[in-house]
Amino acid sequence: MKKKWNYTRASVVIYWLIFLVLLGLFFTNDFGLVDIHKTAIITAVGIDVAEEEVQVTAEVAVPQPSQNGENIKYALVQGSGITIADALNEINAKTGFFPKLQFCRLILMGESCREKELFGLLACFYRKDFSELTALVAACEGKASDMLALKSETSDMTSDAIRKILSDEIEKSANGTPMSLKDIAVTQYSKSAACYMPFVEVNEPGTSENGGNGDNVGGEGGNQGESQDGSGSSQGGSSGSQSGSQGGEGGGSGGGSGSQDKAMEFTARRTAIYSNGMFTGILDDQQSFALAAIRNNIRLAVLQCDTKDVHYTLGLKNVNCGVDLKVNAGAPELTLKFKAKARINGAKKRLVPEQIIFDDVVPEEVLSAAEAALEKRFNDLFDTLKEKDCDLVGIREQLYKYENKYFDAFKDDILSRMQIKYEIEVNSAN
Amino acid sequence: MKTKTISKISVRQICFIMLAYTVVGKLLSYPTMLSYFCERDLLVPALIDFLIEGIIVWSIAFLCSRTDKTFFGLLEGTFGNVFARIIYGLFAVLFLFAVLLPICEQELYVHTIFYDTVPSLVVFMPFFVFAIYAGSKRFENIGRCADLCLPIFVITMFVIFIMSFGEAQWDNLLPILKTPADKIFFMAAGSIFRYVEPCWLLMFMGRFKYKKGDAAKITISYAAGAIIVLLFLATFYGIYGGLASSRTFAVSRTSLYFSAIETIGRVDLIMLYVLETVMVFALVLNVQLAVYCIAKCSGWDNRAVISLIVNVALAVVLITCGGFYNEIYKLYMNWLWIFFVIFTVLVPCLAWALKRRQR
Repeated sequence: MKKKWNYTRASVVIYWLIFLVLLGLFFTNDFGLVDIHKTAIITAVGIDVAEEEVQVTAEVAVPQPSQNGENIKYALVQGSGITIADALNEINAKTGFFPKLQFCRLILMGESCREKELFGLLACFYRKDFSELTALVAACEGKASDMLALKSETSDMTSDAIRKILSDEIEKSANGTPMSLKDIAVTQYSKSAACYMPFVEVNEPGTSENGGNGDNVGGEGGNQGESQDGSGSSQGGSSGSQSGSQGGEGGGSGGGSGSQDKAMEFTARRTAIYSNGMFTGILDDQQSFALAAIRNNIRLAVLQCDTKDVHYTLGLKNVNCGVDLKVNAGAPELTLKFKAKARINGAKKRLVPEQIIFDDVVPEEVLSAAEAALEKRFNDLFDTLKEKDCDLVGIREQLYKYENKYFDAFKDDILSRMQIKYEIEVNSAN
Repeated sequence: MKTKTISKISVRQICFIMLAYTVVGKLLSYPTMLSYFCERDLLVPALIDFLIEGIIVWSIAFLCSRTDKTFFGLLEGTFGNVFARIIYGLFAVLFLFAVLLPICEQELYVHTIFYDTVPSLVVFMPFFVFAIYAGSKRFENIGRCADLCLPIFVITMFVIFIMSFGEAQWDNLLPILKTPADKIFFMAAGSIFRYVEPCWLLMFMGRFKYKKGDAAKITISYAAGAIIVLLFLATFYGIYGGLASSRTFAVSRTSLYFSAIETIGRVDLIMLYVLETVMVFALVLNVQLAVYCIAKCSGWDNRAVISLIVNVALAVVLITCGGFYNEIYKLYMNWLWIFFVIFTVLVPCLAWALKRRQR
């Protein structure tokens, strides 16, 4: 007797078969798995502007088949075009990688970008799903392509060395003002319409500028300017396409200058500032410290101050800093509140071992000197912001949020009109 | 003689559906669209929708305490079989519309977030295979899926929130109520297609044994879902501020700035993959209910075949119209909201007017 066909059982089997086939497609990217050794990943981009074109230099990690450790090679590839997307398309053609920037961790803006509207240049990164907005952004001296072509002592990957000086720890110590693509856009597209980013500088290893309080930006310059002419990043053809260079192992884009063969150090203690997307200037390290204290959560900052005859280096803990805008009797008043606990990290005086125990309690005159030093830094910062009408601290945004009825009246001249009151309190940690 | 038994679902499972499925359907494009139209007031239209639908959810749950009949039974008892079939036919259309745009969203989401390159549409097709299978199942299956989904939902949302909270600037939501009222109401009405929960509950009527306090349990579950959605919206806007309207697929964007991600990579993607399973079940619920309504409307109870037809139709629409996502969205916001308001607000309210007892 013929066995009757069991439709229920058969349908379950068919379902599973179809499901497994489709699951296979799902996990193999339609049998189009990408061989990692045959591709390249963009880890950082440098952006320069030449006349009406954008030159993008991509630091590309090229995975290498290797059985012993060193299995990634870094190369620089250049592309150019009217927009960054054009340039990236050219880079894609050279590297065979899909033009998304999911692994890009650093965007370096060269000096030539200062003339252009920032978000006109960077717009490409904010387009739908082109990149996550986690990449750090920094301005640099000279050409970004040259800076990416430099070697570093701290990492094989130049962008990695630069990212080290833009780390979370740097942010928590007020020694820098790291900003991501998201951060700069959020502050720009707020009512304040201003943003900032760290300014990366190069210096010779083992050198430091004399005469400072430990706030020096660095030592001898890295000849960024010199290297520009000899970098070999000449522009090709009337088509606007940049032939670029594919240096190997972190090597440069043609490398004519001596500094590119030598490992260099990077610092980012100054800050490039933008108002309405246009570059307006660079804050020095002390103003950057003040800005970082207001905008970031500082865990442990180092502050220098001078009493009558002794120079002190203080460590500031439990830093709590912020600005509070109030409109009192029709007059805007900004209160800057700063609270921290201090301990003495160093003093320029002869060490007397039996007196170190008394350092636990920071003398009143040192605390007063610290408060004065802080007030000076904040004051300098606000003077610069007023002068450049650059609302980095988010005053207009605060006005809109908390004193909304005065927003239309004060939004244009709030920076110059407001009175600033400082409530700075530095206490001894013990 | 075979007696037809009504497939059952438990109150616990309904609560799980009201909690988890309510949330997952509102985590992709919804926050972005709210940010686009209402900026800092994005919570307000969502709150309006949740309040209206929450009251309706409560009223339907309370109605369940007054009758053991299904919604179809109530309609049939009051207006006759043909009218009940017509209404169920319209509900089938409603559920199909309720799933169409979210399927387009899901397809874009999967392709964009889970792939670095541009995958073909085929990679999304397993969804329809699963939907055909699930659509052929009955209400017990819906309940079991909810049991399965709730723990997954709780764990993943908890982790996503933990990874997101640190980056949020809550005062980005200030000042409140500065958006013009017409924009807020336009957004509240235009988003109503995401709020079909009262219709789910109408379909569950008569399929669970009502006990005292069940209406409160169901409403509280829905309210909990609403709070999670509102919290997520606040977090999303808190993180992106004025940039929020440019960040699509919100759920995949909030946890990006968790400090550990910098060191160990996109671990949040694990949570997103897992949460995707709940999203799939939530989508499939609408397909299941559409199949059920078509079966009731047509009187043809071969759900496997109906499910096959429905899903093939959905797949065809996705393939042909998926590229017109923005146009479809405009259609929903400008016109289809009227249809949704009728079936998610008016019809459930009118359910109270139906005869609950045979005279």
